Amino acid sequence: MLGKGVVGGGGGTKAPKPSFVSYVRPEEIHTNEKEVTEKEVTLHLLPGEQLLCEASTVLKYVQEDSCQRGIYGKLVCTDFKIAFLGDDESALDNDETQFKNKVIGENDITLHCVDQIYGVFDEKKKPLFGQLKKYPEKLIIHCKDLRVFHFGLRYTKEEEVKRIVSGIIHHTQAPKLLKRLFLFSYASAAQNNTATDPKNHTVMFDTLKDWCWELERTKGNVKYKAVSVNEGYKVGERLPAFFVVPTPLPEEDVRCFQGRGIPIWCWSCHNGCALLKMSALPKEQDDGLLQVQKSFLDGIYKTIHRPPYEIVKTEDLSSNFLSLQDIQTAYSKFKQLFLIDNSTEFWDTDIKWFSLLESSSWLDIIRRCLKKAIEITECLEAQNMNVLLLEENASDLCCLLSSLVQVMMDPHCRTRVGFQSLVQKEWIMGGHCFLDRCNHLRQSDKEEVPVFLLFLDCVWQLVHQHPPAFDFTETYLTVLSDSLYLPIFSTFFFNSPHQKYINMHQRQLSLPLTQSKSSPKRGFFREETDHLIKNLLGRRISKLINSSDELQDNFREFYESWHSKPTDYHGLLLPHIEGPEIKVWAQRYLRWIPEAQILGGGRVATMSKLLEMMEEVEHLQEKIDERHHSQGALLAEAPPLLRSSARLSSLFPFALLQRHSSKPVLPTSGWKALGDEDDLAKREDEFVDLGDV
Amino acid sequence: MPPRVTFQPRGWQRSQETPLSSEYDFVLVNIGRLEAVSGLSRVQLLRPGSPLKFTPEEILIHGRDFRLLRVAFEAGGLEPQAFQVTMAIVRARAQSSQAQQYAGISLSKAGQSSGPRKPPVPLLETSEDWETERKKQGAGSWRVSPVNERFDVATSLPRYFWVPKRTLDSEVRRAFGHFHQGRGPRLSWHHPGGSDLLRCGGFYTASDPNKEDIRAVESMLQAGHSDVVLVDTVDELPSLTDVQLAHLKLRALCLPDSSAAEEKWLSALEGTRWLDYVRSCLRKASDISVLVTSRVRSVVLQERGDRDFNGLLSSLVQLLSAPEARTLLGFQSLVQREWVAAGHPFLTRLGVTGASEEAPVFLLFLDCVWQLLQQFPAEFEFSEFFLLALHDSARVPDTLTFLRDTPWERAKQSGQFNSYTQIYTAGYSQLPAGNSVNPQLSVWDWDLRYSSEQILQFHNPGYDPEHCPDSWLPRQQPNFMVSGPPSSVWLFSRGALTPLNQLCPWRDSPSLLAVSSRWLPRPAISSESLADQEWGLPSHWGACPLPPGLLLPGYLGPQIRLWRRCYLRGRPEVQKGLSAPTISGLQDELSHLQELLRKWTPRISPEDHSEKRDPNTIVSQSR
Repeated sequence: MLGKGVVGGGGGTKAPKPSFVSYVRPEEIHTNEKEVTEKEVTLHLLPGEQLLCEASTVLKYVQEDSCQRGIYGKLVCTDFKIAFLGDDESALDNDETQFKNKVIGENDITLHCVDQIYGVFDEKKKPLFGQLKKYPEKLIIHCKDLRVFHFGLRYTKEEEVKRIVSGIIHHTQAPKLLKRLFLFSYASAAQNNTATDPKNHTVMFDTLKDWCWELERTKGNVKYKAVSVNEGYKVGERLPAFFVVPTPLPEEDVRCFQGRGIPIWCWSCHNGCALLKMSALPKEQDDGLLQVQKSFLDGIYKTIHRPPYEIVKTEDLSSNFLSLQDIQTAYSKFKQLFLIDNSTEFWDTDIKWFSLLESSSWLDIIRRCLKKAIEITECLEAQNMNVLLLEENASDLCCLLSSLVQVMMDPHCRTRVGFQSLVQKEWIMGGHCFLDRCNHLRQSDKEEVPVFLLFLDCVWQLVHQHPPAFDFTETYLTVLSDSLYLPIFSTFFFNSPHQKYINMHQRQLSLPLTQSKSSPKRGFFREETDHLIKNLLGRRISKLINSSDELQDNFREFYESWHSKPTDYHGLLLPHIEGPEIKVWAQRYLRWIPEAQILGGGRVATMSKLLEMMEEVEHLQEKIDERHHSQGALLAEAPPLLRSSARLSSLFPFALLQRHSSKPVLPTSGWKALGDEDDLAKREDEFVDLGDV
Repeated sequence: MPPRVTFQPRGWQRSQETPLSSEYDFVLVNIGRLEAVSGLSRVQLLRPGSPLKFTPEEILIHGRDFRLLRVAFEAGGLEPQAFQVTMAIVRARAQSSQAQQYAGISLSKAGQSSGPRKPPVPLLETSEDWETERKKQGAGSWRVSPVNERFDVATSLPRYFWVPKRTLDSEVRRAFGHFHQGRGPRLSWHHPGGSDLLRCGGFYTASDPNKEDIRAVESMLQAGHSDVVLVDTVDELPSLTDVQLAHLKLRALCLPDSSAAEEKWLSALEGTRWLDYVRSCLRKASDISVLVTSRVRSVVLQERGDRDFNGLLSSLVQLLSAPEARTLLGFQSLVQREWVAAGHPFLTRLGVTGASEEAPVFLLFLDCVWQLLQQFPAEFEFSEFFLLALHDSARVPDTLTFLRDTPWERAKQSGQFNSYTQIYTAGYSQLPAGNSVNPQLSVWDWDLRYSSEQILQFHNPGYDPEHCPDSWLPRQQPNFMVSGPPSSVWLFSRGALTPLNQLCPWRDSPSLLAVSSRWLPRPAISSESLADQEWGLPSHWGACPLPPGLLLPGYLGPQIRLWRRCYLRGRPEVQKGLSAPTISGLQDELSHLQELLRKWTPRISPEDHSEKRDPNTIVSQSR
């Protein structure tokens, strides 16, 4: 709990430096402080969370207002979040609080959510990092969920400014060790929270049983088997403890190259064709070793390619498709469209919106992913071929494409539980390096690539185009994307199941965590196409697959014929990928920009109407049932419809979190001059002063 | 029926129910481009009258309404017919462009109906219609003026319109003479809070009004209000040429063979500037709505011709501010009043006459409405399909509604106006004679062209009429009826208000307005819209002081969308029936259950003993 003493010290004890010019009248400071003191805002700490530093009399600016207004309060930094205390949260109605995030408040930023920090020095904005010589008068924080915070430090005591600014910079920007993740302090402090909800049927794929169940569900158990050869991670650290391989594959083969170079099963189609993935063999210069690799791959290949029964098509994702570099560049351009410091900036970009959007090529990357997924689907569905995805580590675009194909082909993956199981299977067990890709440890900006977000955006396109086919809404996807930066769940904070196992289960043994182990460096951004595999497999396959022109024709035909038929929401689902059809995920990217909201409009309006009607249907149904069962019984009065009288904003449920103090921001321009109609009557015999308002 | 190209699939019969149109019909005036194709390389663009150079294997008809008809002639001996048919279309187009405008339908179905048909929407051709509408709006200080009954004030004005109650007809006549083409200030809409929305043409600067004339003009503009805000309509809006150019570019982009690459599509779309124009219309309309509703200021829309953007803005303002205008009937009345009766030159603007002043302002308006529909899916009673039907009707001139440039031409054609034919008709001399059109038919007689299932689709299942309050909270209004000079006159331009010294440009005498030194015009720079200034955005999140019924549209880049179902119709991948199946299904279930309960309720009465068995049967039927 924060003492009053801290707050009280703001004004009187020590005079500010002589060069400091205060633009606030003394009484203003006085009232502000009084307010803060009286409110006695409390900092809510999670179990295991520790307060690191704080500063009082910080001014949080109203973002969309260029006239420098804001709320005074205290800025604190803990080992979990940066929080601003001062907003009068009790002003929120009960109605609104029910949509509040339980962990992250409106003015909370988790340390992992911080993207860039800027300081304003004499009206100039500069990025902040490392040791500072001079401290800024204003702190601007860009978040990974695209919020932007402005904190004015002009009225804060100098040593507090130093402490909070360097504290925030250190805890968000400096590289840190895995064991310093808040996750661990939280997990040890809140041990009883791990009890799983029995209603939650998400399959975790951490047991052999889960994999067998999945094999059975997809009827893949005829040709594929679940193996436990990597139990205890004896074979390879990049592999999950349990996984599925083709039945004829000998288990020794798995051991040869630590699980590299073997086909790993992802999913089986209703016609028996399977989606497989494979990571590349280590690069060797030595001819003898190359020969060994070649014969090994030849042997492997025979187990999955046995014409005419089994035909396999390989998709080499490291050479013929997007690079991670492309994705990184596109997203960093794209997000700048939404990370705006003030409204005027937004207006400026407005006219050029479409060309700016296009030049980021983020939407085009989405289109290419969707297109590739359709191509793979066409092979599985129409050509009865197995598809083998090849990638350096099989843990980036492999995860993206295999899960996208499953969302499109398997209606189970379009339920919430099914989707969560899919993420668990392909991304968590598939060894996607969340730690590196989200740059949670701030060890390498180069490795930070939003692959998972790209996947969610692709799924969003599908949800947006075919809402009835999905059990979940876009809000679910948005919230899921936010939880990437919430270090109280272990899901998205490890590079592999092995890493998680080592850190979560063996911590009692307090093994020293060497950095190389926790974050093995892999050069993703060099041209590291494995020519060996490409050549070996490529040559074989070129005979089997059609020329690329024909491939395009097949794709066109498949795509167009599907779209010309009525959609079966419980069957195969293909997205539209033409120019006008790929859209901006407005809810995620625009939700913090007040100008973008439409009051009483947007999809929310339809949604609330829908809910309302569903409630009414239920209610009527109940009424009928009641009559049916107990004749003459008095009808219970219907429960009041869960509806607020206020018109919802199109940014619901996020808009309300952004709500500012109840004080309205008054316009400063001449518009005010016309006055309210109240004073119209008064104006009858006086002229209105237009100049001064 | 108007001359058309029809493709008849084998076994297909024109539905008797909807004799006027089918999806295989292409009215000749709707043909934007005709191409003959042979093999992969030979393509000829066929202009009216140009000879066909080869026997086509395929002809492509591109509609101005974004549809595409592609007809292939099979190889087996159809070559002579292919040539003949194509040439026939070419000749027919040539004739139809030379000939006078198509005069409308003389429809057997309509003729059969005995007795006078009551039009589905008041056509505003009688003073009773105007009076009813005036009462509905509660415009107590206004009256219907018959001064233009014989179209001698202006041929482009309706026979009746609303003027301030205190103004005499002679004053109206006197004042209107000083406006461009005699289009003086008239009421468009009366806001229940007390303010009025007026529209008028530009001041006729060459005229030399005397004092009384000026007084008449001023009192009509002021209409009893102490404050008047004059809006220069075309300011910040595109010109007619801009609109036409943007529409042509948009059509080229949306053609299935458009050369724009997928990844360049968005910038190509931006390049058409169509969406930019939509945006500026919405923004301006939103600002004016704030003036009229929230600030309760009277607004006069002034456009030189008063026949294009004035109609667009005043209709949009009403859609944003008046929930009644968002009903199916209300919207049709709105279009009838602000576009048809107000004399929007449909024929010229839609390019039916081939005149140079083609500019699809009305289609721009429909796009704006579609944006509103997208943004506020629960606020409109009509659906996207209705807008689409209206969009197509503009191109298929089956009825008088969109078939004439002025109310006078329409009235003359419909035979309402036989007695007086000697008026000056310089610009409008080539009217076709004879060929009687059923005057009682309007575009609003949807059942002539659409089946009942299609008409059902005109209704938006997500419409929530509860959002539409029956009455406004009566605001405490000071008495606006002041007889003295206006206390303040403002010019609204570029998002800011500047005080004006006087209403009319002619006066050289000192203004009656008290000019204070403090009233110096302030620099009018504001990037913020009125709505933003009005509510200082954060405070209107959640529960807010937004006037009930007022919609504030979004007009930022990401919020303005392409009307795909309209513009991309020619593309093969366009999907069918995207209206969410769940919501209409739910609606069905709801009405079914309600029906069930209704059937049931009277039987509760104690004397009815059959009650005991019924529920079972009803419930089992329902499941």
